[in-house]
Amino acid sequence: MALHLNLLHEEILEHRQRQRDPLKIGMMVLAGFGAFLFLYYMFNAYRTLEIKSRLRAVERNWTKIEPEVTAAHNRVAELEGVIKTTRALDNYIENRFFWAPFLQKVSRCVPPNTQLTSLEASVLDENKGVSVSLEGVAAGREPRSVAEDLRQMLIEQLGQGYSGVKVEFKTLEDLDAIVNVGGTNMPMAHYLLAVNFNPGPMAKSAASPSPDRTRKR
Amino acid sequence: MSPPKLTKDQVQKLAFSAIGFVFLLYVYFTFFLGPLNRSRAAMLVTIRDLQSKLDESKDEMKKAVSLEKQAITATSRFAALKALSPEGAPIAWFPPRLKTFFAQQQIDKAVAHLENSTAFKEAELSGWTKYNWLIDLPQADFASVGTAIAELENTEPLLSITRLHIQTLASQPQFQHVELAAASIIEKR
Repeated sequence: MALHLNLLHEEILEHRQRQRDPLKIGMMVLAGFGAFLFLYYMFNAYRTLEIKSRLRAVERNWTKIEPEVTAAHNRVAELEGVIKTTRALDNYIENRFFWAPFLQKVSRCVPPNTQLTSLEASVLDENKGVSVSLEGVAAGREPRSVAEDLRQMLIEQLGQGYSGVKVEFKTLEDLDAIVNVGGTNMPMAHYLLAVNFNPGPMAKSAASPSPDRTRKR
Repeated sequence: MSPPKLTKDQVQKLAFSAIGFVFLLYVYFTFFLGPLNRSRAAMLVTIRDLQSKLDESKDEMKKAVSLEKQAITATSRFAALKALSPEGAPIAWFPPRLKTFFAQQQIDKAVAHLENSTAFKEAELSGWTKYNWLIDLPQADFASVGTAIAELENTEPLLSITRLHIQTLASQPQFQHVELAAASIIEKR
């Protein structure tokens, strides 16, 4: 075995110590880690820039389309408002009570020997019904029967177009006055009729058969 | 192999380096990576919002086009109903209009008074006002009144008669005194 003499052992030891210097190793690790962090930051910055360019493109699109969208939005709101208002107005129009057909029915019910002196009618609030007060005089051998005929006739005629028809005498009294009808003197009666009904027609299932009316003359 | 012995100076440097490292990490995450990530996240949220707005806008525009087609009837009807209310205060044009109308129906004397006006509670009718009128026909016959009311109800869809009073005239039995209470819906001008 050959004999080796190391005459520079101090220098070599110093060199090895320098190589294993923890401060130097630590600085190298730190630099490596720093480089990694920098690269990671750059990667993120690149992604951010890419997203920023996407955002710009989307913003450009939005800026281009926004006036049209705003106009369309306003138009939709306007049209919806028009549709709603028209619907509300149509509801109002359709829910009106038409007086002309009612007056026609009343005129059909009044026989020649009966006279209406006053008609007062009103639509109750929120279209809950119609209330009518009819006042007049009836003449005949039995004037009360003539008035009753009018009442029955009103029930029959109004029942054809309206529901919940109620016709009641509020007053029915004989008068002392005599009237000449067709050359014959006849006694008279004064009546006051209260009529109530709902404007809507009677439902078929709920409809009751019309009462038999026996006209007394 | 035993770890190399560190001198006091080296330990001090290492400690400073460690502190510096922690500080570096803090600065890196707080002032560099953190804001970058936050701005990226904010941009992503903005993109998502704008994208959803763009998608919605396409739907909105399609809706506007289809609604425009659907609303043709409603818009023409609305325009027709609006045309029933001329410009100006209703008190100025409504009574003369009714007077003319009744004159055409052979009822010469017709007077309309404004009783009151009320606003609608419904939001869709906020642009309209209900005017309550008292219409007095001091001399009319029943048949003419009936025909006139029928014509009025047909030609004035926004007018609704709420009360009717017909009274015979003792002095002129062929005529009746008629009072009408009517409500008309008129657009606010």
